[in-house]
Amino acid sequence: MNDHLSAPILSALADGELSADQLANASHHLSQCPLCTGDALYHSLLKSATAKAGQRYMPTPNLRARVALQIRELSIQNSQDIDSARPIARGSGFYGWAAAAALLLLSVGIALVQYGWNRSATASAQYAALATEACDQHIANLAGNSPPEVISSDRHTVKPWFQGKLPFSFNLPENLPSGTTLDGANLTYLHGRPTAQLLYSVGKHRASVYLQKRSDDKMANGHSTDHSGFHVLDFRSRDIDGIAVSDVDSPRLSDLVSLIARAQE
Amino acid sequence: MMLLPWKRTDTVSGSQTSPFEELVGPLFPSLYNVAFWLSRSSANAEDLVQETLLKALRGFNTFESGTNFKAWIFRILRNTYLTSQGGLAARRTVALEDELNANDESGTAQYPEGAIDHQTPELNLIQMGNQAALQAAMEKLPAPFLEVLLLCDVEEMRYKEIAIILEIPIGTVMSRIARARASIRQTLTTASEPSREIRR
Repeated sequence: MNDHLSAPILSALADGELSADQLANASHHLSQCPLCTGDALYHSLLKSATAKAGQRYMPTPNLRARVALQIRELSIQNSQDIDSARPIARGSGFYGWAAAAALLLLSVGIALVQYGWNRSATASAQYAALATEACDQHIANLAGNSPPEVISSDRHTVKPWFQGKLPFSFNLPENLPSGTTLDGANLTYLHGRPTAQLLYSVGKHRASVYLQKRSDDKMANGHSTDHSGFHVLDFRSRDIDGIAVSDVDSPRLSDLVSLIARAQE
Repeated sequence: MMLLPWKRTDTVSGSQTSPFEELVGPLFPSLYNVAFWLSRSSANAEDLVQETLLKALRGFNTFESGTNFKAWIFRILRNTYLTSQGGLAARRTVALEDELNANDESGTAQYPEGAIDHQTPELNLIQMGNQAALQAAMEKLPAPFLEVLLLCDVEEMRYKEIAIILEIPIGTVMSRIARARASIRQTLTTASEPSREIRR
């Protein structure tokens, strides 16, 4: 027990960068060493906190417009350099029209680029924040080791428990993948919105599936990402937005999520 | 049939965005954020991002379609930063002792066991909830540690991608990230207990 996990190993564990052998050794050590377990949790939380704190500076719309204009001008210049190699018959009467048309198209182009950038950046920042919050809650749940607010593997007990607690209803699948059990659920909040947190055991792994009333935000459907070593998978049905977090392998998490998504239809 | 000049202009400057603009658009906020952290001012960050994008556009024909555009453009950003006044100063003043120990993955050279107070995790956790304290701790990091942490935690890049961008071995990436986190932890611990001496 004298050989505690080194700082780089704990860091790589939080980043999901350990090889299978390293991960097995680290897991074995963590199962016996509370000191390193505390450190591992700290590294994981520090990573999440740094991710949030690091997203600090946003470019101004002016800068975006200016850079978009420069890029567009340079692109046009490059294209014209290529064109100028060819023989061109220019009618001098068209110069004014050409300049006006180019200016108009340039303005439209800049507006479209700026709109696209803003929309894409906002959606991506929103999704990253949601994934971070979902991961944080999942980790806190694991670390707290507190029992769920409703403890039951019976969907007919878990679903009715939310009556009057959530402004929406949802369905739970009748059959779960082999080795997967429903442990219970919590009422929680993600992004300040009431959310059902369904807790599952997938083998020895724990999974949290968060269900919210479908929002108007443009959210990716079936988006899969890794966050602090956890797999994060989202889905969207007609009325429900869902996001699942677990360290179980992606295909098994995906199986569970597919069943829950299908149950909403 | 010969096209009229303004019609030919249309084909060039139409409202359709170019492949370069489509690729760089979603990364613009990330590039600016990292540029600001590294250069420490909005004016320098704006210059850095503009120069990076113009360099990238000029060299876009050398980018291999289907490869990692994000790593490619962040590498240009980083090289542009290194040749800027601030980047040159950072390179001069920071001793990259971790490169001397690139193969030493124990991570104990700079922060020996006992330098980190294991007894006060709750204080550290409280500090982590304090974004201002965390950002202040990040600001204190030397550029080589800050950039590796931003790429790993904020940009969620893999060690392999970071190694390509920074042109360093993966072992050095691993070591720098661990040292950056240890340094933040130490700063947070010191900030939470100013009167308590850190054990050495």
